[in-house]
Amino acid sequence: MKENRYATLKRLILAIMILVPVVPFILVLAIGYYYFTTSLESTTIASMKRIVGDHRQMIESFLRERKADLEFVVRSFSFEELADPQELYKVFTHLQEKSVAFVDLGIFNEEGIHVAYHGPYRLVGKDYSQEDWFKGVIRQSYYVSDIFLGYRRVPHFVIALAGEEEGKKWVIRATIDTHIFTDLVEKVRIGKTGEAYILSREGVFQTERRSGGNLMDRDPDGMVKLSPGDEIRTFVKEDSKGERYLYATSRLRDKEWMLVVRQEEADAFSALRSASYMIVLVSLIGGALIVAVAFYITGQIIRRMESIDTEKDRLGQQLVRATRLAELGQMAAGFAHEINNPLQIMKSEQALIDTIFSDMRTRGDLKDSEDLKEVEDSMAQIKLQIDRCAKITQAILKFGRQSEPVVKDVDLVSFIPEVTSMVSKKASVNGIALKERIAENTPIVHVDPSQLQQVLLNLYNNAIDAITERHGSQGGELTIGTGSDENGRVTISVKDNGIGISPENLKKVFTPFFTTKPVGQGTGLGLSVCYGIVDSMGGVMEVESERGAGTKFSIRLPAAA
Amino acid sequence: MEKMRMMLVDDEERFLETTKKLLARKGYDVFTAASGSEALDVLMKENVHVVILDVKMPGMDGLATLKAIKSRYPMVEVIMLTGHATVESAVDGLKSGATDYLMKPADIDDVIKKAEDAYARRQVLEEKIRVAQARMAMRTPMEILRDTKDK
Repeated sequence: MKENRYATLKRLILAIMILVPVVPFILVLAIGYYYFTTSLESTTIASMKRIVGDHRQMIESFLRERKADLEFVVRSFSFEELADPQELYKVFTHLQEKSVAFVDLGIFNEEGIHVAYHGPYRLVGKDYSQEDWFKGVIRQSYYVSDIFLGYRRVPHFVIALAGEEEGKKWVIRATIDTHIFTDLVEKVRIGKTGEAYILSREGVFQTERRSGGNLMDRDPDGMVKLSPGDEIRTFVKEDSKGERYLYATSRLRDKEWMLVVRQEEADAFSALRSASYMIVLVSLIGGALIVAVAFYITGQIIRRMESIDTEKDRLGQQLVRATRLAELGQMAAGFAHEINNPLQIMKSEQALIDTIFSDMRTRGDLKDSEDLKEVEDSMAQIKLQIDRCAKITQAILKFGRQSEPVVKDVDLVSFIPEVTSMVSKKASVNGIALKERIAENTPIVHVDPSQLQQVLLNLYNNAIDAITERHGSQGGELTIGTGSDENGRVTISVKDNGIGISPENLKKVFTPFFTTKPVGQGTGLGLSVCYGIVDSMGGVMEVESERGAGTKFSIRLPAAA
Repeated sequence: MEKMRMMLVDDEERFLETTKKLLARKGYDVFTAASGSEALDVLMKENVHVVILDVKMPGMDGLATLKAIKSRYPMVEVIMLTGHATVESAVDGLKSGATDYLMKPADIDDVIKKAEDAYARRQVLEEKIRVAQARMAMRTPMEILRDTKDK
């Protein structure tokens, strides 16, 4: 029942001790994690967008500059001039001085015939009228091609511009070095896995992709579609290899190309991941700590409660016993007091009878006879028994008396030997060795010395009786000790090697009227009186005994403040 | 010497009766009273030397009776008879002028002994008073003259 109560209580305390800190702890971590991830995500995405935006502008301005270069040529030179290879060479050299990205330069007439060319290939005279780029430039007067192989069978792209002279269109075309362009595009570096590349409307690589993707290959993932506007989009998608990427895409303004910047998600959010690891670690350690502390403290609380309960039970039992003794004492005192009156009358009657008998004898009215002797013997017996009753009532009255004790500081170091000396004669007559073990540092007690003396004498007399019962008139040993216990209380012990007390009697030694002495020799009140006195001093009295080995009475008294 | 006259005061009638008989047989003059007020009545009429007074009585208790006796008849010796084994009530009695105390149940011989002691004390006291009075009576004419002049 009691164990069960502790177990329930333990579970309850444990649950509270764990839940109360864990709930806010987890909450704090979760909220922190949420806000941290959100803000980190948004800053990561924002920086990704900024990169894409900046990068797009850079690429656009590169293309615009190249276009401007060609525009300058178209405006400054006539078709005739440029058709001259010498002049074309000079122009090309100038252009290359401005940008090394120019690989070659070609001039085309309205029919798409390559009329002049400067560059590493032999392309003069070839007909381009059916090429997409040529059609485009004739239509729009400016054209940037996708990467294509062309006559030279090498991936390249061109910028073409149309001029018009006397109603006849002509075209200037420059090839852009794909390596330089790719370098330009690829230049973006974000984290470990960040990369940038350009896809055409059909999803074909216009620049090489560092993580795999050759020029003019089709993007195997095919998840980037040409968007109508130049807004920047971000999204997370898994590619065909199962890697998750954070994408940021934007369309170039002058060309149907998509600039793609992407980074592996794990890389992009690596700070997030390490934060998550930290949070998991902190939760685990913190949680374990909370649980461990909860278990420890709960254990302590329960142990403390158990010991308090035990102590409470013990005190309660003591209190009940003391109260019962006090009540019993009062009742007995009242009873004894009332008994004294009839005893007084009986005593007077007996004395009167005695006197009458002796008067009659003097007068000679009474003849000696057996009967008379019997009567006189009987009368003597009545007197004896009345006296016995008187002794009992007086003992009871002493037990139940409620006089105010006169307390003073008593130094046991000198007090105990004084009291002991009162029984030294009786002890030596009975061959009992008195031993005193008085600790010099025994604290002072604040008690009524006459009460303490009464207690000690009672214990001494009991001990002497017990010793003579076992040893006769030699070999007895009575040890009186004093000291202080671990709680600072003063201890007095009276130990004998007498007959001892049987276990069942040991329980009753402090009960009033309990005695093992022959009828008429003990009132059975001595020890209960002692118990009451020690109790009123704020002390406790205990007994331990072994039948045939001896008895030890211990008194614990509070030390004087 | 004048014979000792005793009075027993107790609320137990039978105690009074028996003890009176007993003491009479031993040759004492004994009065009895069953209460404090009765005791005071007896004292008014009779010359009593020693009073054996029970502490616990209904109505006027022993201590009150003692005080009344001592205030009216200071020469009367009072022995308290207490049913209580403790000396507190007896001590109170002694402080209020009782000569001695006895504890119930008291032996008749103890009662007689204490009463005799008290009576002897009283006689010593009376003797002293007599001597003092005699001295008063035997003043010189000059002293008498001086006394009358003072008045």
